[in-house]
Amino acid sequence: MTTVGPLACLLNYCLSICLEEQGAIFDIKGACAGMTNTDINNATIASGTIPNTRREEQYKRFFRRFVFLTLVSSLLPLLLVGWGINIHYTRFARERLTEKFNREVENHHRAIELFFKEQSSRLQLIARTHSKEYLRQPGNLNKVFELINHDYPTLTDIGLIDHTGRHLAYVGPYDLMDKNYADTFWFKQVLQKGLFISDMFLGFRREPHFIMAVTSSDNGEPWILRTTINTETFRALVENVRIGKSGEVYLLNSDGLYQTTPRFGGSIMEPAPLPAVVDHEGIDLRFVTQDYPGRTSPSPRRIVCSVWLKEPRWLLVVTQSYDEAFNAVNHANYAVSVFLLISGLTILIVAVLVTRHMLAMIRRRDQESDRLNQQLMQTSKLASIGELSAGVAHEINNPLAIISTERQILMDCMGQIPEMSPSFKEQFNDSMSQIDIQIQRCKRITHNLLRFSRRTQSVMETVHLNAFILEVVDLMEREAQATGIKFVTTLEPELPVMISDPSQLQQLFLNLITNAIDAHDGKPYGRIDIATSVAGDGQEVRLSIGDTGCGIAREHLEKIFDPFFTTKPVGKGTGLGLSICFSIIQRLGGRIDVHSESGQGTRFDIFLPLRPPAELMQYN
Amino acid sequence: MIGSKILLVDDEEIFSRNMAKLLTTRGYQVTAVNGGDAAIRTLAEHPVDVIVLDLKMPGMDGLTTLKEIQKLGLFTQTLILTGHGSIDSALEAMKLGAYDYLTKPCNVEELVAKIQGAWHKKDSTVKHESREKAQKVAGAPTAFFEVFPSKKR
Repeated sequence: MTTVGPLACLLNYCLSICLEEQGAIFDIKGACAGMTNTDINNATIASGTIPNTRREEQYKRFFRRFVFLTLVSSLLPLLLVGWGINIHYTRFARERLTEKFNREVENHHRAIELFFKEQSSRLQLIARTHSKEYLRQPGNLNKVFELINHDYPTLTDIGLIDHTGRHLAYVGPYDLMDKNYADTFWFKQVLQKGLFISDMFLGFRREPHFIMAVTSSDNGEPWILRTTINTETFRALVENVRIGKSGEVYLLNSDGLYQTTPRFGGSIMEPAPLPAVVDHEGIDLRFVTQDYPGRTSPSPRRIVCSVWLKEPRWLLVVTQSYDEAFNAVNHANYAVSVFLLISGLTILIVAVLVTRHMLAMIRRRDQESDRLNQQLMQTSKLASIGELSAGVAHEINNPLAIISTERQILMDCMGQIPEMSPSFKEQFNDSMSQIDIQIQRCKRITHNLLRFSRRTQSVMETVHLNAFILEVVDLMEREAQATGIKFVTTLEPELPVMISDPSQLQQLFLNLITNAIDAHDGKPYGRIDIATSVAGDGQEVRLSIGDTGCGIAREHLEKIFDPFFTTKPVGKGTGLGLSICFSIIQRLGGRIDVHSESGQGTRFDIFLPLRPPAELMQYN
Repeated sequence: MIGSKILLVDDEEIFSRNMAKLLTTRGYQVTAVNGGDAAIRTLAEHPVDVIVLDLKMPGMDGLTTLKEIQKLGLFTQTLILTGHGSIDSALEAMKLGAYDYLTKPCNVEELVAKIQGAWHKKDSTVKHESREKAQKVAGAPTAFFEVFPSKKR
């Protein structure tokens, strides 16, 4: 029973959260899908920092929702089962207890009825077997009294009363011989009924007692044999019954006054607060939560079981604290509660851990998809720029060719003029050579553009990467000699032979190494590390080119593969070198990673497959 | 050689005119036309030694023009001079029998050097062919000439 409260509370809470998060809970899939696709794509395009905080929030929200859903879906059945078992067990235990209580009350009832029956029968027997005259004679009533009380002090006193209410004989501790009972409440009743058992009353002796009276008649003249039941004996019969620590047994008369002293609070002849005295057949059992005014009961909730005696019309009440009676049930409920609590905590911990694990997986997937998206972006960007630049290059090459021929014509004409001021000739030659330099510069740019956009058919050959690298390094080393840069190669001797396009590879290495050399601009010395190794479960070759140059600023890292992006001074770089590298690597089915620290250096890691993509192979 | 006949085929008129002027100065007989059709027509009437052909032209493009020239069965050598981005088409042209290729903008001296090479090739081909013809007429074994095959580029 004790878990019903918390269970209801929890259900209520769940419902309230469900309503509050309405839609949100059922939207997790959608939210996640959205999170991993469109949102992030757009965000990545816009900037690199905004989506991270937004995504962290989404992760947090996802975490909360998932934990909540897991808890609801696992705790709800658990609680329902717990609740069901609890209700079933409680009902069962309650039935057993009620039965036990009824039996107890029944036994008491029988015992008390029997007591009254015995006393009244004995009294009636005496009245019918003895005459008034006999009992009136001194000593005879005394003999009868002693006979009755011989084994057990059942009676306090006994008196013989004639039809006028006068005492004819009396045996007992009080001086009642001169009392006349004609006006007492019981006198008339006993004359009418033949047997009368009174409620507790104070009477002439001023202390609680009750009497039993029977009538008999000699020669048509009735007389009464009246006796006071020994209050102590009677009370012991009733009150000494002990039911647990909080149980008590008492009698009430039809006016609701105590006929015995209850065990806790209250005393004989005082009105009893409980239960309301109502006539009923058989045994009445009820659970009462009312307070007992002025009583120090341990709990207000009690089981009250009552049954009416026939004669006298008294109510036998057996009552016990509910908690004590249902102690075993409470114990079981407590155990169930603890079990549920532990289960709940376990589920919570597991839910949190599982969700964390899942979230870590989603995070990894998201990062992976980000990476792929970025690559895709880069590739499509390069493709569209490639087409554009091919057109531009061609359109510029033609005017350049014309400028070049015009220059040549002018030069030819100059050669034919015999006399000319030397200063003009000098200036003319300077300008002409400058025009040529600029034409060559433009040509370099347009050729790079064309190379970048070129979709040549790859010529696939077997390549010994290490030997290939050594050739390129040998070539570059000579160029870099004056700059004080040292080349350090760490080549994997067991590197497998790969199939690739040597001319494109050469272009790739030349570009990267040229960049590495240029990165040392302004430094008196430096180092370029070139290393090869096997990667990707032996299916890939990793080539890394690291330098000790100026590094790449963080804000530039995202743009280095964009065409025309350069940090070199105007006229020195076209900004196409790394774009060409990127498109070559893409074409060869590889990938490139860059790690750079500003001022410390840069390292490019290139991963190339041992076998190029199938579409490249079919050209051969 | 000086006096060689050159046909310039380029849709850029100013470029053709300038280049014609430069080559003429250097002793060549230059005819400039601005398209493939005009080139074919000119060739039918006046055979030349070397053709300098642009690839990207309106109307008949360079490769088609080259194929048409091959059909004429002349000894003329063709030099591709292109501003077009695709080196692939230049290579394609070489496969079809073009002598060499140059990319715009180019130095006139470079062009002259290539023209010289083309002329030599044309010259040796002509000689070879005429010898073969003479041999066939005389009935001598062809193997004799195969010991000293003409240098092919």
